[in-house]
Amino acid sequence: MSTPTMDADDVSNAAKRKVSVLTKLNHYKWLYLMLIPGIAYFAVFKYAPMYGITIAFQDYLPFLGYSGSPWVGFKHFQALFSGPDFPRIMGNTLILAALHVLITFPAPIIVALLLNELRIEWVKRAVQSSIYIPHFLGWTIVASLTFLLFGLDPGPITKVASSLLGHQVDFLADPAWFRPLIILQSLWKGTGWGTIIYLAALTGVDPNLYEAARIDGASRWRQMWHITLPAIRSTVVVMAILLAGNLLDTGFEQIYLMTNSLNRSVADVFDTYVYIMGITQGAFSYSTAVGLFKAAIGIVLIFGANWLARKFGQSGLF
Amino acid sequence: MISRRTLLGSGAALGAASALAACSKNSSSSTSGGLDTLTIMAPVLTGQTPAADGKLQKAIEDFSGKKLAMTWVPNSDYGNKTNVILAGSELPELMVIQGKTPTFVRSAQAGAFWDLTGRLEQYPNLKPVDTTAAAVKNATINGKLFGVPRLRDPMRTGVILRKDWLAKLGLSMPKSTDDLYGIVKAFSERDPDGNGQKDTYGLIIPKWPGGYGTASPYDVFETWFGAPNAWGERSGKLVPGFDTPEYLQADQFLKKWVDEKLINPDFATLDSAKWNDPFFNGKGGVIVDVTSRGQVIGNLFKQQHPSNYMDYVAMTGNLTGPSGKLYAYPTIGYAGFISVSRQSIKTEAQLDQVLQFLDKMSSKEGQILENNGISGLNFTPDGTYSVAIKGGDADVVTNDTQSFAQIGTNTNGFMGYTAKPATPAEQAFYEDRLKFQAADFKSAVQNPANALVSDTYTAKGAQLDQIIADARLKYIAGQLSLDQYQAEIKRWHTEGGDQVISEMNDLYAKYK
Amino acid sequence: MRPPIPAITAPVTRRKLNHYGSAGSRVFDTLNVVLLIMLGLLTILPFIFVIAGSFAHDAEISQRGFFLWPEAATLETYRFVFSTPVFPRALAITIGVTVVGTLVQVLMTFLMAYPLSRRALPGRNMILNLVIFTMVFSGGMIPTFLVVRDLGLIDTYFALFLPLAINPFYLIIVKNFFQELPEELQESARIDGATEVGVFWRIILPLSKPILATFALFYAVGIWNDYMSPLLYINDSTKWTLQMFVRQVTISAEALGNLDPNYVPPAQSLKFAVIVVATLPILMFYPFLQKHFTKGMLIGSVKG
Repeated sequence: MSTPTMDADDVSNAAKRKVSVLTKLNHYKWLYLMLIPGIAYFAVFKYAPMYGITIAFQDYLPFLGYSGSPWVGFKHFQALFSGPDFPRIMGNTLILAALHVLITFPAPIIVALLLNELRIEWVKRAVQSSIYIPHFLGWTIVASLTFLLFGLDPGPITKVASSLLGHQVDFLADPAWFRPLIILQSLWKGTGWGTIIYLAALTGVDPNLYEAARIDGASRWRQMWHITLPAIRSTVVVMAILLAGNLLDTGFEQIYLMTNSLNRSVADVFDTYVYIMGITQGAFSYSTAVGLFKAAIGIVLIFGANWLARKFGQSGLF
Repeated sequence: MISRRTLLGSGAALGAASALAACSKNSSSSTSGGLDTLTIMAPVLTGQTPAADGKLQKAIEDFSGKKLAMTWVPNSDYGNKTNVILAGSELPELMVIQGKTPTFVRSAQAGAFWDLTGRLEQYPNLKPVDTTAAAVKNATINGKLFGVPRLRDPMRTGVILRKDWLAKLGLSMPKSTDDLYGIVKAFSERDPDGNGQKDTYGLIIPKWPGGYGTASPYDVFETWFGAPNAWGERSGKLVPGFDTPEYLQADQFLKKWVDEKLINPDFATLDSAKWNDPFFNGKGGVIVDVTSRGQVIGNLFKQQHPSNYMDYVAMTGNLTGPSGKLYAYPTIGYAGFISVSRQSIKTEAQLDQVLQFLDKMSSKEGQILENNGISGLNFTPDGTYSVAIKGGDADVVTNDTQSFAQIGTNTNGFMGYTAKPATPAEQAFYEDRLKFQAADFKSAVQNPANALVSDTYTAKGAQLDQIIADARLKYIAGQLSLDQYQAEIKRWHTEGGDQVISEMNDLYAKYK
Repeated sequence: MRPPIPAITAPVTRRKLNHYGSAGSRVFDTLNVVLLIMLGLLTILPFIFVIAGSFAHDAEISQRGFFLWPEAATLETYRFVFSTPVFPRALAITIGVTVVGTLVQVLMTFLMAYPLSRRALPGRNMILNLVIFTMVFSGGMIPTFLVVRDLGLIDTYFALFLPLAINPFYLIIVKNFFQELPEELQESARIDGATEVGVFWRIILPLSKPILATFALFYAVGIWNDYMSPLLYINDSTKWTLQMFVRQVTISAEALGNLDPNYVPPAQSLKFAVIVVATLPILMFYPFLQKHFTKGMLIGSVKG
């Protein structure tokens, strides 16, 4: 606009805009009302404690509190990055993360699809009821079972593997078997539970669609491609983006239980490293620093993955 | 090295004073001079916590003259709970601290707890005696004592063997490490279970979660050979154990055992929860660990051999090494402290009251209440033993003693009763154990570094210890040559160990 | 005249048979069944081992390794577990807290997800960003504890589900689900004069049964398995939940050997029994919900 002065139109436009903001808010007032408990929750229980992040820059001692503990700036980060083990730890964590992305993440999707294709109801119900049981068993039990089955002495699986491979296999001590065992454990424990969310998404599919496709002569494969997969696509995308945010989380307990002197070179990841450092230094500041580092990467990855998803036409997290 | 208690166990066991949170409004009347009620936080080992109006708590309150407001915290996560309590502003007056963790040390040095150096001697039942002096010394931090130590057995190392195998092969109990070598060789080669197959071995070692100096069988053997117990004085200076020739000799000795297949092949990975299984299943015949394991193993045989299960387990104490001299591997002698919060207990007068309470509970009657219960109600005394009374109330009181024993200190020596062993065979086994434990204690090799806390060690200790433990295991497993092993030990030095050594020596000079 | 019914149905049936009759399809189906049955076995057998172990003597557990049926069964362990008044009490407490807590958490999550599913809502993106931020950044155990304490929630059962009332992951997934529901339904309801709350209650929620069931399950399991919250926020031991016991029995055994030389670690069978008792109730929740995972929830609700 090149008119130097305000004319009647501008005034009424401005007034209209102002009014429209208010009417908008009023229009949605019930929605905002519904948001109040949730926002209150996040404010109180998530954001109010956020100042705790600052201990990454202190030598925090609970007794001295946040105001009393000494400030050390980036000392912990320096210790983390300059430690001689850092490249190895980073490498191990990344490799495990990659394996999780490639194997543990798709597994529940595949199983959910397979279950969906199953026509025999009783088998379907039976399998569905049992595959999620491992989720409830803590890692200590999973580790005990692993030692029992893959152990050197009476381990049944070890016996079979050794005879198949022609030489004695030491699953628990051999660094080469560490990652496969971890992935196997994660698959066993998590796949069943993971299918739940995908199966729930699949319930939204109208069976008539399959019927219609069949009448049109579509094969099973094409039905899956055109009906089933699109139905869970958005769920898969969201789960993938959320996974990106926690990529560097390998889980402490599982790895710690499987680590020993002989496989430590491949087993050490951030979470176990923090534990060992934490015992001596007093956990808090150092582990918060590492957590901050992981979170920073996580945030970048989440928004990156989200952007990628939108490029491919998915709605992503928004 | 760092106290093994701080490394073994789940979670970071941190300790410091804290009090019950909002729970007890009628808690510490710390403003007024009189302390009628004491707030105490303690770990509970079992699932059942004592009821506040339970018979045992009443009895203890009557005896001590103080009411107790107990907060019982599950032992498995005591450390986490301690941290949050510390961060809060209401701390319990008395708090069990499970170990000398850096957080505790820093908190104590920052003024969280009363310094009790020299005060124990002023109370008749808190004063250390001959058998407890070493433990109390171990509990100090660079000369200061930040709580009343909770005393435990000072000597618990033992060698447990399959008695039936010894009998079958006509072998006698070992006295030296060479004797033990002969035994494990016989167990591995001479078919001790008589099944015609060569399917047995000698020593059973599990995966060891701790680093160097954490009472692993390796540490025990090294001490037997004359190496220091983690740290020792050589030519007037403190040196770490692995810098001595005896240390390497012990490891070479064990490596020979592995090479000759005298140790379980999965010694690097065997789940320690299953340590007893090979022994019980007749795969291995020797365990080197704490003496309390002996009876536990004996009990495993009860189901299949109800009348003579103790015929399967034999136990002896520390062995002499190649030098012929007995070097016994002791415990640090205490399991944490009971610390007094400076925030809740503000004056010397109040501190005196608190210490008087602990003093009273450390008298013979107090110890009996805490450890055994109420005579006539849940047990009857029988010499030095207590015989349990079963049923209803008695069981509750017996269960409660397990919890109240946690607030016992026993710095004047343990004066309670021990549960009477179930059978004469068990009793003989137990009394034998007491004998050799007492004898071994006279030759105990203490770790002078137990009383010292070095800053660099606090910052890097666990990591450094891990280098040694990993290298030692790899060497014994045959994955490292002796030269490579020594190179790893060198790495300990260059990655911070040298600084630890110099700090330790400074502290040693000051607080010897 | 009525059309010949057989004629209408026959072609369809025939085509059905033809379709399922295709060789590749049958092979796939067979393989699928076999594979899934194997998967089912792989996941249930270890749990059967745990159950079997809880009925066995420790000696047998030491000797036999992996087994599915104890040779010499005993009820001793379970008798011990239930002999103490604390265990049933903890069970009751845990069930109560889980039921109430799940209701609260599900309600709060769905209530917040619905407005956020409306793209036109001003401020929506900002709120979503703030939610996503909390998925990776967190203040930590101690500051959260201090907040709970300052709210006076220590030693209350509220502390066992309020601090974790809304899981940001779940919130996002539920929101996305709402976004995918057909607009027409909501539009027609609004045209008919329903308020937002009305639309939410009468239209959206009934359509969300599978999602409701899913997240009721997730939240319930979350509360049931949570040991951190009771540990940090409950001081009164009469208010302990089941997980406190499970951890005590299964984990503390190792640590305790050094603290008390005369301490006898809990029997292996006790560890198993505790796991069984602590897991079975929540395990049974899922089959209970399964009937909500039926297909075609949307049939009949959308015209054309």
